[in-house]
Amino acid sequence: MDALSKLPEEMDALINSFMSQAIVGDTTVGLTQYIFWMCVAIALLFVVIFAFKKKQAKSLVPQGFFVNGVEYVIEFARDDMCKSILGDTWKKHFPFIASLFFFILFNDIVGIIPGCHPGTGTMGVTAALALVSFVYFIAVGVKRMGPLGYIKSLAPEGVSFPMNALVWVIELFSTFLRLVTLAVRLFCNMFAGHVVMGAFAILASLFFEPLLQSFAVSAVPGAAVSIFWVVILIVIYMVEILVAAIQAYVFTLLSAVYIQLVESE
Amino acid sequence: MGVIGYGLGVIGAGIGIGLAAFGATGAMARQPEVQGRLFTVFILGSAFVEALALIGFVVTLIA
Repeated sequence: MDALSKLPEEMDALINSFMSQAIVGDTTVGLTQYIFWMCVAIALLFVVIFAFKKKQAKSLVPQGFFVNGVEYVIEFARDDMCKSILGDTWKKHFPFIASLFFFILFNDIVGIIPGCHPGTGTMGVTAALALVSFVYFIAVGVKRMGPLGYIKSLAPEGVSFPMNALVWVIELFSTFLRLVTLAVRLFCNMFAGHVVMGAFAILASLFFEPLLQSFAVSAVPGAAVSIFWVVILIVIYMVEILVAAIQAYVFTLLSAVYIQLVESE
Repeated sequence: MGVIGYGLGVIGAGIGIGLAAFGATGAMARQPEVQGRLFTVFILGSAFVEALALIGFVVTLIA
């Protein structure tokens, strides 16, 4: 039972390690571990995209697993997120939607690798992403209807005066809430997923430790339990791979829905 | 105490995702041809609900 008594302090250490720590400079001006891994993800993304372009240009018909695989993901982003939601205007917004999707997807995937951190695991990066998406759909609205037109379009048509103003205030509030929920959803998913994975890894190591220190019969049941924790860890790891893809999908899909809302007004 | 509070919060999210899955499976059984579109809407709905539970989880850990 003394394995469990060590758990709280180990958990505190784990959560502390997830806070932003500077590896170059300090936390105001510098490079935290999250930003470092974000740069790694961007570099990886560029390598994949340029390798894809080079290989794709070789033949008219896509050949091989790599080219077909990347094309499948791009077509998924195009058909499932752009065409089905944005309708006729999809071509204008596809570059933005696709770059959002690939950026978040690569960040999440890099974070899944043991020892790495996801770029999206810190509030700063997700808030910046949400802000980009927020500014984009407001810019689309302003471009379509003009600044005054966009502000007016927040209130639905065909509602009489006093209710109209009330609905406008609520809509304005919900528009700003989109910014917060987009950022918090992605951050919380990544953070929570990594804390859960870390908790099971700590449990497995704590239960296995007595057997490593001295070989005794009394330590064998604890080691047997730790196998159970490792199995759970593997299951959670699989779920996290799924979550990484789904969260990239959800973030992009919501951005597309918000763009569609201003496009259809 | 924080963990108990988180557990209480998750009840709501659990009911929410359960209802979403219930509606999605029911609709898919009635009309299998709209499966793709329904799945998108289901994922969207679950994402909204799940965000609440996750906010609770992170607040529990940080506070």
